[in-house]
Amino acid sequence: MESAEFLPIAPEVILLAGALIVILLLAIFDRPYREGGIVAFTALTAALIAAVFQWRALGDGADNLYFSARDVPVARLPMVVMDEYSVFAGYVIFTIAILGLAAAWRLVQTLGSRRAEFLALVLLGVAGVHMMTASANTIMMFIGLETASLAFYVLAGFTRERLDADEAAVKYFLLGSLAAAIFIYGGALLFAATGSTAFYGAGGIREFLSANIVTEPAILLVGMGLLIVGLSFKVSAAPFHQWAPDVYQGAPSGVVGLLAAGVKIAGFAALGRILIGALSSQIDDWAPVLAIIAGVSVVIGTLLAAVQDDVKRILAYSGVAHAGYILMAFVAGRDGIGAMWFYVATYALTLVGAFAVTAVVSGSRNGRSPLRDWAGLSSRSPWLAWAMLIILLGMGGIPFTMGFVAKVGVFTAATEAGYTWLMFLALFTTVVGLYVYFRVAAVMFMGQPEDDDAVVIPTASGVVIGLVAFSTILLGLLPWPLLELAGEALPL
Amino acid sequence: MALTWLILLPLIGAIVIALIPRSRRELLFPLSIAVTIPPLAVASWIAFTFEVGDPFFQFTVDHTFFEQLGIGWRLGVDGISLWMIVLTAVLFPLAIAASASITEQRKQYMVAMLILETGLLGVFVALDLLLFFAFFEIVLVPMYLLIGIWGSENRRYASFKFLLFTAFGSIFLLGGIIALAVLTGDAIGAITSFDLREVLDVRLSSTAQLWLFAAFGIAFAVKVPIVPLHTWLADAHTEAPTAGSVILAGVLLKMGGYGFLRFNMTLFPEATVDLAKGMALLGVVGIVYGAVVAIVQPDVKRLVAYSSISHMGFVILGLFSLTSQGLSGGVFVMISHGLVTGALFLLVGMLYDRRHTRLIGDYGGVATLMPIYAGFFLYMAFASIGLPGLSGFVGEFLVLVGSYLTVPVLAVIAASGVVLAAIYLLWAYERIFTGPITNPANEGLHDLGFREIAIIVPLIVLVLVIGIYPKPVLDRIQPSVDLILERIEATTTYEVPEYGSTPGGGA
Repeated sequence: MESAEFLPIAPEVILLAGALIVILLLAIFDRPYREGGIVAFTALTAALIAAVFQWRALGDGADNLYFSARDVPVARLPMVVMDEYSVFAGYVIFTIAILGLAAAWRLVQTLGSRRAEFLALVLLGVAGVHMMTASANTIMMFIGLETASLAFYVLAGFTRERLDADEAAVKYFLLGSLAAAIFIYGGALLFAATGSTAFYGAGGIREFLSANIVTEPAILLVGMGLLIVGLSFKVSAAPFHQWAPDVYQGAPSGVVGLLAAGVKIAGFAALGRILIGALSSQIDDWAPVLAIIAGVSVVIGTLLAAVQDDVKRILAYSGVAHAGYILMAFVAGRDGIGAMWFYVATYALTLVGAFAVTAVVSGSRNGRSPLRDWAGLSSRSPWLAWAMLIILLGMGGIPFTMGFVAKVGVFTAATEAGYTWLMFLALFTTVVGLYVYFRVAAVMFMGQPEDDDAVVIPTASGVVIGLVAFSTILLGLLPWPLLELAGEALPL
Repeated sequence: MALTWLILLPLIGAIVIALIPRSRRELLFPLSIAVTIPPLAVASWIAFTFEVGDPFFQFTVDHTFFEQLGIGWRLGVDGISLWMIVLTAVLFPLAIAASASITEQRKQYMVAMLILETGLLGVFVALDLLLFFAFFEIVLVPMYLLIGIWGSENRRYASFKFLLFTAFGSIFLLGGIIALAVLTGDAIGAITSFDLREVLDVRLSSTAQLWLFAAFGIAFAVKVPIVPLHTWLADAHTEAPTAGSVILAGVLLKMGGYGFLRFNMTLFPEATVDLAKGMALLGVVGIVYGAVVAIVQPDVKRLVAYSSISHMGFVILGLFSLTSQGLSGGVFVMISHGLVTGALFLLVGMLYDRRHTRLIGDYGGVATLMPIYAGFFLYMAFASIGLPGLSGFVGEFLVLVGSYLTVPVLAVIAASGVVLAAIYLLWAYERIFTGPITNPANEGLHDLGFREIAIIVPLIVLVLVIGIYPKPVLDRIQPSVDLILERIEATTTYEVPEYGSTPGGGA
């Protein structure tokens, strides 16, 4: 392998190496788990640093496409792409993974001998997520998707002694596999219509579509539709969202933030790569479909979130709505990428923070987090309640939080693209969303606590929650550097 | 810079208050009052150095945050917003000083109040549409907490109703702002622009104006509130703690009237002219409806709340009379209403602190026990009714004069609001204060203490001063409202009538 070809896959290589070392250290040499943690955090940090190097290399004019099949005479079909889009995805994913793992640390401590697997699976899952964003080929993307998904299925059911965790894992596995199957079938149909699995390069899907008239438009449309459906499952957009509430509620609270944020980042990044990278010429076909999915998601997600009595289910359904808001950015094509990235990045951060609070309030191994656990939190732990309030305000899109900037971004993008109806629909659901989030806030601030025990906040979780709440305000006041960066993170 | 400081000072105050350790709890109350003094000082300095006769924005701050989307930290005051910030800065120290009865979670209460002040000051000086919306919306959060945590029995219901109603209004505003920014962006060759001054230069089609007028108008109509979007108001005012009611009535409602002036009438002149008669009619409906409903209220706080609907109806009538007198009068009513109704809520709160009931029927003959209090109440009732010499008269007189030029029939009906105000306020006064003491529970009532007198006296003085000599206020308002009218005349066929030029136009 030429050295220049190491850089594009450096994050994946680092993470895989980290996963192996963790297993060696903990499972074979039986070292204290703290060392495993050090390796895991080092690997994630190193991956983040590798992403910074990738960005610099791109600035110096590095190639974008790698691992092309050289022996194919007419077409050079690349497997991996390194562009600002994939690198920005790396920034987001690795940052979220570091925070998510820190928030899960309390859970890791309780896992006994199985923490080696846990840490290794987190690293593998993160590698898979990033691979999805850096793939230049449906097959590579499928491999990344499966790597990430398999790791996440296991993580979702990690507290095996709880029946609902098993249920969550099985449900997640079955529906996730179905989604993966739909996805790869879509890829196959796309291949049938265009003669390629690669997105870019001579003979790739984009080249083909811009230079040829598709002889089988129906196959192309169905293929495109199946890809969208498969990824909509992953991001839990309605009506493909049914797994999310059960999985969120069943999986151990300590790790749900990481799982939820991870799949969302992966799904949206992959969607952008395929639709805006490879199929940009077909925007008139897919944009209305996404607009409808977005509209359905914001309505269903918000309405169902309003009637839940469990904070994790509330967050799951609100996640459906947020998926809808993010999809709104896609209808603007390349112009919406900046808004999409800003939303995805800030929402992922929010998710990690919100689930970290959930884990503190209801226990990191537990699944359920009923609203009564939250009653009177402001008198039991004012700082935690205020941090959660800030995070909730961010989700609700209240000004001077990053959620507001993100919402204005996607609303503006949709309006620019002429989808004014979608913007107004989304605005309506935002108000209902406020009810959802303020309902939790009302329980925290105005409810009567069942017991007056002070809440014990593990240090790592406290740091994560504090950081998320702080950045919710900071990125609400000064979002400009991140907006600028997100605006540059365009796919090839 | 003065305006940036004006916004930041309450926020800095909130941070200072949040950092007071538990062991120095006794500092909390005095320090909370103290941190509202710097904003008042800055606001007064702005009022004194404000250049009279200049209709344009002064003390402007213009700092672009994000070139691509045209978002910036853009602030400025003109003759209209000047009085809004002065009103805000005056009412906050008094409202906080009147919060001595708040004992639970006092620190969080004070922090919420100061964040509220930041938001309100920001609303009145923002010249960037997105920044304006941000301040407009952020106000909801502390107000929601104030009503929901420190309100009376029915607080949760009232807080949610307040939140959802006003948030429902503001989504239209946000939608309208985004649409307007996109239209502006198209016109100036950028993606979007939220700069009010750039937006002003864009010629909008009549249809666009109508839609945008509706989008902005709903948000402001909920805030004012214009009947039939008023139902949140009575609950919110009644359940809120005293300071919350003072700020709600005194300042929050003004966001609506201010919004109509600054955005609807300035940005969408054609739609304004087309809809003026209908809006004026809604204003009159509010005047009469609010007053009639106020008469029958058994709860004195609800009575004052409904009287607000009536007074704010005068504001709407004045603005949409589209005459110089009407607009000036509308702004003046907002100032006067802020002072007078703020004072009435403070007074009601003082009585509530003593007896924990707001029902008029529980009182009677209070004047013999609390003569100073009764005097203050009567004074403010007269000011609210519009007794000449007090502030209420100036504004409502100007509104009636102005609206008689363009909508004479409505002006005549609106005048009945003054009579109705005399009925509900004086009748309430009679039942609470005069006669013998009927309820033995009232016998222990003691008159106002020094702190309470010190809170009311500044308002009494202000009401009297601007009632007798309104010129300094009107001199600053008029150029700015005339500028709005000039813009309407320049872009439409409408001509502002003057007394002596046309006989009271058709209704």
